[in-house]
Amino acid sequence: MMKFVVSSTELLGHLQGISKVISNKNTLPILDNFLFRIEGKNIEITASDLESTLITTMKLENVEGEGTIAIPARILLDTLKEFSDQPLAFEINSDTMAVVISSEKGKFSIVGQNGIDFPVLPAIREDKKFSFFIDANVLLSGISKTVFATADDELRPVMGGIFVEAGTDGINFVASDAHKLVRYKRTDATAESSASFILPKKPASLLRNILPREEGSVGVEFDDKNAFFTLEEYRVVCRLVEGNYPNYNSVIPVNNPRRIVVDRIELLNTLRRVSVFSNQASNLIKLELTGNQIKVSAQDIDFSISAYERINCQYEGEEMEIGFKSVFLLEILSNISSTDIVLELADPTRAGLLLPAEAENDNEDLLMLLMPMMINA
Amino acid sequence: MKLVIHIDMDAFFASVEQNDDPSLRGKPVVVGSPSERGVIAAASYEARKFGVRSAMPAQVACRLCPDLIFVRHRKERYREVSDIVFKQFYLFTSKVEPLSVDEAFLDVSDCCADLLSARDLAVRIKEAIMKETSLSSSAGIACNKFLAKMASDMEKPDGLKVLTPEEATLLIPELPVDKFYGIGKVTAEKLHRYGIHTGADMVEAGPDFLHRNFGKSGSFYFDMARGIDNREVECGRERKSIGAELTFEKDLTTLFGIIAELYRIEQELWRRVEENGAAGRTITLKVKYDDFKQITKSITIDTPVTDFHTLHGRVTDLRKSVDFSNRRIRLMGVTISNFGLDDKPGKQLLIWKK
Repeated sequence: MMKFVVSSTELLGHLQGISKVISNKNTLPILDNFLFRIEGKNIEITASDLESTLITTMKLENVEGEGTIAIPARILLDTLKEFSDQPLAFEINSDTMAVVISSEKGKFSIVGQNGIDFPVLPAIREDKKFSFFIDANVLLSGISKTVFATADDELRPVMGGIFVEAGTDGINFVASDAHKLVRYKRTDATAESSASFILPKKPASLLRNILPREEGSVGVEFDDKNAFFTLEEYRVVCRLVEGNYPNYNSVIPVNNPRRIVVDRIELLNTLRRVSVFSNQASNLIKLELTGNQIKVSAQDIDFSISAYERINCQYEGEEMEIGFKSVFLLEILSNISSTDIVLELADPTRAGLLLPAEAENDNEDLLMLLMPMMINA
Repeated sequence: MKLVIHIDMDAFFASVEQNDDPSLRGKPVVVGSPSERGVIAAASYEARKFGVRSAMPAQVACRLCPDLIFVRHRKERYREVSDIVFKQFYLFTSKVEPLSVDEAFLDVSDCCADLLSARDLAVRIKEAIMKETSLSSSAGIACNKFLAKMASDMEKPDGLKVLTPEEATLLIPELPVDKFYGIGKVTAEKLHRYGIHTGADMVEAGPDFLHRNFGKSGSFYFDMARGIDNREVECGRERKSIGAELTFEKDLTTLFGIIAELYRIEQELWRRVEENGAAGRTITLKVKYDDFKQITKSITIDTPVTDFHTLHGRVTDLRKSVDFSNRRIRLMGVTISNFGLDDKPGKQLLIWKK
């Protein structure tokens, strides 16, 4: 027999932190459960989709017995959501797997499953282990700023993740789908030597959900197969993408001669309006730089519609025009937070850079790269 | 006046290897496998001192130079470096005709006034290549492709040679015919059989003789022997299609045989595609039955085929659409076409060109 008493909202909070990993199409039925492990005054709750595993721990006053039980996730979450904050007593019969939850006014009975059936966590290979610490906020920024640029290309799995490159002078987060690329550098997080891994999109999103719950530092450990992110109350273990990330530094232009400074929100709003008129297949919008203005235009010949808007900018170079996929440009502008952005261009066929005109803080360096679309045949 | 620069990287594969691995520098290095059937793909200048040449059997090379260091062929790496080299060319002119991963013709008639200013440009190109890749190259500058190519070969490695028409008329008579650009081993042997060994012999043989025995090419050889070459630097030179096909010794009758043979053809095709560095969007499957009736099925996809996996997947789709039941298959072939520099409006450019 195992027993514990827990606050309904506190438990729900922890479960919601880890429940997003549970997949709707699990191949293993046991993965539709939360695994509860009761040990001393701690309960540890695990959810997994085999690729990624999320673990949360809670320290409780009132705990009896030790052991594990798998409790159906859906029914537990749905029940807990409907309680006002109150203590709930869990009673688990280790022989029958019966779980009885007693609230102020009633009893809720569920049947669990043997916790032994839950997949075990991968072990880290000590000989290939590498680790560093990173502030939760920094890791959160690293993921949030880059995850949108990852690819959904099954043929190139390495592009489906965030490339995390740790070194003595900082940590880089890089993501790209071969059309756009984001590089986010932080100099206030470092590692003792250089190592890197490719964090798949799903665990990256799961981390993004968990990281705001805590402050302080996150332990990151990884080998060639798995990564372990350890927070105070949460732990994320995930399988990494194997393979080599493409060389991204060599594709970032360093001397784009044309430099344009423009109000980000103004450009964003203009693009949103004008892009309605772009060809639906290509989403091509054209930027024409003349004097201190950018003319943003689009047309869809198939429907005889066209639009343009002019916005002011700082630009002193020669006239030029360049095309971009509006969807990509909008995505990029939405993922920069500065008031003004700097657009650095070379010519209509070469990569353009988008940079915040002023950094959010001194320790970061954000660079977004976007390949143009052809505007002329 | 036409001004052509021919740039040829010095011992390209071997130099890349020596560059990437400093411990190989200054040593006789070859790219290739030392196995019994191995062939040398490239030899460093240190190895060439021993007489080691590319295309030489590895066993022979080992005998010539017992301390020879063999390194594995890294096609992707060479392609990567080659891309950087070509990027330098395009900084100076868009009229670039690639001959292979490590050599190209550049037509600089528009940006240079004379051979001397073309020479200055060649120096800058060589410097740019050196700066970006740390590799040396040889440049030949002349007023046509043949002479430019001949010039780049004259002062290798790290050569820079302007070949004036006057100098060319002195040199070509001495030049062995197999050194003429465009004359391969087979033609050279044929010329030898007629007693033609040098440029001078060629002029002496005369245009009629050459035309009679070598057709249209014969007239062209005669021109070359007098330093004349009117061929343009073909910048947009793209092959229209790349294919591979196989006529089977015995007609295929089983699906298993068809799948297996098709896979071999796909592999051969892919090898050729990679060699050409081209990527097309249309894949065509050709099937010829034992009665010589032939069918083709093709599919055009949105983005160029850049990996074998995609090719195989599409060919498999095509195969499934062909009726093989109770038919004897004499020949099958797969072709990739539609390379087009399809820079149509709305074409999204890629960060990494494959």
